[in-house]
Amino acid sequence: MKSKSEKSIDEIAKEYNSEFLKGAKRLNELMKDFLENKLDKSDLDDVIDAERRCDRIKEKYIQVLFQDKRALPFLVEDRYKIITLVDEALGKVEFIARFLKIYPFDLYEDISGDFKKMCDTCSVLIEILIDSLELMEINFDKAYEKTVEIENLRREARKVRYKLLGVIYKKTDDPIRVLLTSKLVNNVYNIIAWIEDIADYLRGLIIKYPTR
Amino acid sequence: MAAISIIILFIIISIFISFAIGANDETFATVHGSKTLMMRELLILATILAIAGAFFLGRAVSETVGKDLLNISISNSIVLTILISTSIWLILSSSLGAPISTTHSTIGSIMGIGILIGGFGGVNWLLIIEMSFWWLLSPVIGYIASYVVYKLIHKGIISRLNGFKDFERTEKIFSYILLGVICLTAFSRAGNDVSNAAGIVVGLGINVDLILIISGLCFSAGIVVLGRRVIKSVGNITELVPTSAFASEVPTAVILFVGTFLGIPLSGSHMLVASLIGLSKARRAPVKKGLWKIVIVWILTFPMAALLAVLLFFPIDFFL
Repeated sequence: MKSKSEKSIDEIAKEYNSEFLKGAKRLNELMKDFLENKLDKSDLDDVIDAERRCDRIKEKYIQVLFQDKRALPFLVEDRYKIITLVDEALGKVEFIARFLKIYPFDLYEDISGDFKKMCDTCSVLIEILIDSLELMEINFDKAYEKTVEIENLRREARKVRYKLLGVIYKKTDDPIRVLLTSKLVNNVYNIIAWIEDIADYLRGLIIKYPTR
Repeated sequence: MAAISIIILFIIISIFISFAIGANDETFATVHGSKTLMMRELLILATILAIAGAFFLGRAVSETVGKDLLNISISNSIVLTILISTSIWLILSSSLGAPISTTHSTIGSIMGIGILIGGFGGVNWLLIIEMSFWWLLSPVIGYIASYVVYKLIHKGIISRLNGFKDFERTEKIFSYILLGVICLTAFSRAGNDVSNAAGIVVGLGINVDLILIISGLCFSAGIVVLGRRVIKSVGNITELVPTSAFASEVPTAVILFVGTFLGIPLSGSHMLVASLIGLSKARRAPVKKGLWKIVIVWILTFPMAALLAVLLFFPIDFFL
């Protein structure tokens, strides 16, 4: 019974990660369309749908996680915390899709290069995060390396964020456009910061486990 | 009393004793605490092992209770008083979820009877003082053994595990080993304990196999009805996983086995509880509530068993 539920938990986690990755990549593609002013806003529903699918998978994951009465209590607790943290990251991805749907302006041309860079960094970070989540199951050392990579990329993204905000805040045209564009930048950065928070949590677990 | 009435009375007493000993059997506590088996599975396994242990190992009839501890001549009513008062205290403490040492309870009853009949000279105090050294030492040994074993397991195995899967795999292996050790312990314990209870009816002309099966059934009924409380309370003293349960259970079982082999009267219950405290110290995990209740019951064991023996002796003597 136990090995069966363990196996299905692995499968569910893989399914979740793959959907998350798909949603994040799709958002990145749509961001590129947005930068090139050829975004079809109805395409953003793909990201929203991915989040919905992930939500259902998450429910299944949690159900299976708590079904196994013999599972190690600390492991159940940590896996539950991880899935809720990752789900929050996906929630932030979905929030950007919804935000973009109602964002009524084009992006300032002078920030499009750096904004694209930040969006790409965000997409890469999600990939690394998923790698590190899978490595947590089998190799703490490699997972740890991935979390360090995340930290370094987040640092670069922070520089880009302030550079972008520096440019946006100097704009003297429509203040609503300034406000909403800065919000867009901050929202993308929020995903990055959240991924780093997850990486920090994973690193904490990596340090904690051998001392159990 | 008519012969048939005596046989029936002795069978009832034997059943009562088997039930009482089963009720205070904490063997499966760590299996429950580490969730290696759920309560229902655990009770089924305990029942099977109790009956099998009683049937295959229960033939060795134990020595006369209190033979060396009393300086008075031992009659049937004395033996029955000791066994019944011990059983009553076992049941009372089991209903409180406290595992006690059957030996302590028996000796408490012996002391009560000895003082009642022969005054202070009726008890071999020298032997009791000699034994009490081991009673005090039992928890200390349990504490140190589990502390050291857990630290060794931690250093040698746990700290080298890499990844969640590795943890799950290792804990699974330990759960199998733990289960194997517990099954052996439960099997031999049932045989040993049931022989104590069945001993009073062997020789009354009843089929020994039947006696052992009935005693085994009553022993397992004790585990199912009241023993589950003891199992729960001991299993929940500290957070357990199979590796830590192994670290507390296996050294206790080994030391107890060696102690029995060398004739050292160690208390398994005291050692196990102390080993769980040692384990929580080694893991820096908190000891949960309920420990004080167990300690208080331990302290009360001698006076309560003695008091029960004093109260029961005359009625039993009158009937016999």
